Amino acid sequence: MHSRRKFLAGLMAGSLAPKATWADAGAPAFLSAGRDELGLFVIAGLSATGAVLFRHPLPDRGHAASAHPSRPEAVAFARRPGRFADVIDCRSGAQLARLSPPQGHHFYGHGVFTPDGTRMFTTENAYESGDGIIGIWDARDYRRIGQVSSGGIGPHEIRLRRDAAGLVVANGGIETHPDSGRAKLNIPFMRPNLSYLSLAGEIEEQMELPRDLHKNSIRHIAVRPDGTVGFAMQWQGDVGADVPIVGLHHPGRSPRLMAEGDPRLRNLDGYGGSIAFSGDATQVAVTSPRGGVVHVMACDSGALIVEHRLADVCGLATTPGGFLASTGTGTVARIGAQTGAQVVPLTTAPLAWDNHLIPLA
Amino acid sequence: MRPIAPFAAALCFGLACAATAGADALTDRVVDHHILPTYTRLAQETAAFAEVAQQDCAPTSPVLEEAWGRAFDAWVAASHLRFGPSEVDNRAFAIAFWPDSRSKTPKALRSLLLDRDPVVETATEFATASIAVRGFYTLEYLLHDPDYADLGTAAYRCALIRAVSGDLSANAAAILTDWQDDFAAALQRPDQQANPRYRTDTEVHQELFKALTTGLEILADMRLGRPLGTFEQPRPNRAEAYRSGRSLRHVQIQLAALRDLARLLTAGDPALQAQLAGAFDKADRHAEALSDDPIFAGVTDPQQRFRIEALQQDVHDIKTIAATKIGPSLGVEAGFNALDGD
Repeated sequence: MHSRRKFLAGLMAGSLAPKATWADAGAPAFLSAGRDELGLFVIAGLSATGAVLFRHPLPDRGHAASAHPSRPEAVAFARRPGRFADVIDCRSGAQLARLSPPQGHHFYGHGVFTPDGTRMFTTENAYESGDGIIGIWDARDYRRIGQVSSGGIGPHEIRLRRDAAGLVVANGGIETHPDSGRAKLNIPFMRPNLSYLSLAGEIEEQMELPRDLHKNSIRHIAVRPDGTVGFAMQWQGDVGADVPIVGLHHPGRSPRLMAEGDPRLRNLDGYGGSIAFSGDATQVAVTSPRGGVVHVMACDSGALIVEHRLADVCGLATTPGGFLASTGTGTVARIGAQTGAQVVPLTTAPLAWDNHLIPLA
Repeated sequence: MRPIAPFAAALCFGLACAATAGADALTDRVVDHHILPTYTRLAQETAAFAEVAQQDCAPTSPVLEEAWGRAFDAWVAASHLRFGPSEVDNRAFAIAFWPDSRSKTPKALRSLLLDRDPVVETATEFATASIAVRGFYTLEYLLHDPDYADLGTAAYRCALIRAVSGDLSANAAAILTDWQDDFAAALQRPDQQANPRYRTDTEVHQELFKALTTGLEILADMRLGRPLGTFEQPRPNRAEAYRSGRSLRHVQIQLAALRDLARLLTAGDPALQAQLAGAFDKADRHAEALSDDPIFAGVTDPQQRFRIEALQQDVHDIKTIAATKIGPSLGVEAGFNALDGD
């Protein structure tokens, strides 16, 4: 506690000096968690072309990160069921603070700042009750200032709405408890949903898929400028079932499932790892490390346009011309959005890139 | 935690690894002695079947049945090679659409037969038909399911059998041609710049290793796992090709194909080869012992079920050897993300 006070004092003092911004030289374009040559876990900053600009050691395996909207800092979250979140200066990789959730909670690996940068929200598991929690933090000093229900079990990715002020949360529906590691405790009864929350934490709308898809865990989300939410799922039912892995949902409307009936859905192995819209917002892509594929789909027709093969691909980010993807074999590659477009590897680092490639401001 | 074989590829980056391209003995062995012969046989057997169908298209014809069975065998022996030419234009799905969890094949087949859909009239047209009615499983309904014996007209059923057999043959020929003309070279000559698919030998080995693990997963999770279901809810009607009594046969054929691939991937390591041979021998023995239950009907009987579970366990044991021995020996590992995603 003492060291955190010092840190807070430092932050306050720092606020008197001219504020650093994302425009300051050397800031990376992306963040990604990874594992290095020695098997140690890091969060790394990457340039727009995939070069590693810094590495910051993490105490355990990381997952995703969230960037502050104005200050050049980001929070790297532990992979579930981890209990740390490191605040990093994105110019240098220096650690500014380490957050822990309340007793009895663990992080799920994702979080998001409010647009004005005053608060941060984290997805958490209150694991004795199994309740999904959104933790609320003061982003000036990273104090815990409250928490609300996520609207389901197993909240995973959380994003800002773009059609209105508010949050959208993917409640994966799967109950876990740290005592049983990552074992899934409620598959027969799981009920994933997308929940839309106000910035004050009130649930405003929830979307559930039809009952026959209740074992399709809604886990990752991307938000298009018009407010449409793309969601990627992970199938927990019978192996060999033909199920959609990606859907689109606009608040107030019915969800739409993508690439239904396309046999190549099987190549995803029932597993969507990350989701992103293309830079021009006409396409949505999903990665599957299990299948070693990236599927690019047309938002308007719902059709699967192109399937790219890329071993152990998982991280995925929007770029002006399409997508950038990262892999567990250390590759960062540009992914074309057009039919016949190639995977263009940009860099290969001696790092295994973990689940997500996080675009910075 | 051990450090990290995939980075062998990374270490090559910028060095002269590409200089060794084309000289990789392991890739050459697998391409020349496994992949090309497997697809050659598929092309030959499907062509022979299509020819037989031109002569004799009666669904009850033993000659037709035999030719179909030989072609189907050739497909099962190729069914773990799911990359490159087999994935172009959904060829592999068109050859074999399984599992069919939403019963698309019988639904589409029924409507073709009842509507006498003219899509069967030319090969070009038929290539646009739903992939669910273009492959081996469609023929299984026509040849082995009495519910389809009188659906539509005999002339239409004949035309459909000929159309499917011709389409199978065309797809198999296209896969083989692509391998011979282009894709074998792409595998055998990885290059940082000039090869859009494979940059290093390690990436190629990763693809070949993945074919092995994919095949083992199909065996354990699909060909055995789907009929096994759970102890409380076994699913005998999910056994592959049970209508024609081929479920166990497919498992045995795939075991043989994967044994061959595993042997080629481990040449130069006699101890590992011996360990693999022992594991495959054990699986073969358990499979042979099931010859009184070729369609895994025993999944519903606790006294019989354990035999099928034992075979599935044998496959899991082979998977373990692949993950812990073969992968590391090739410098590839099960993926960081693929293995333990979130």
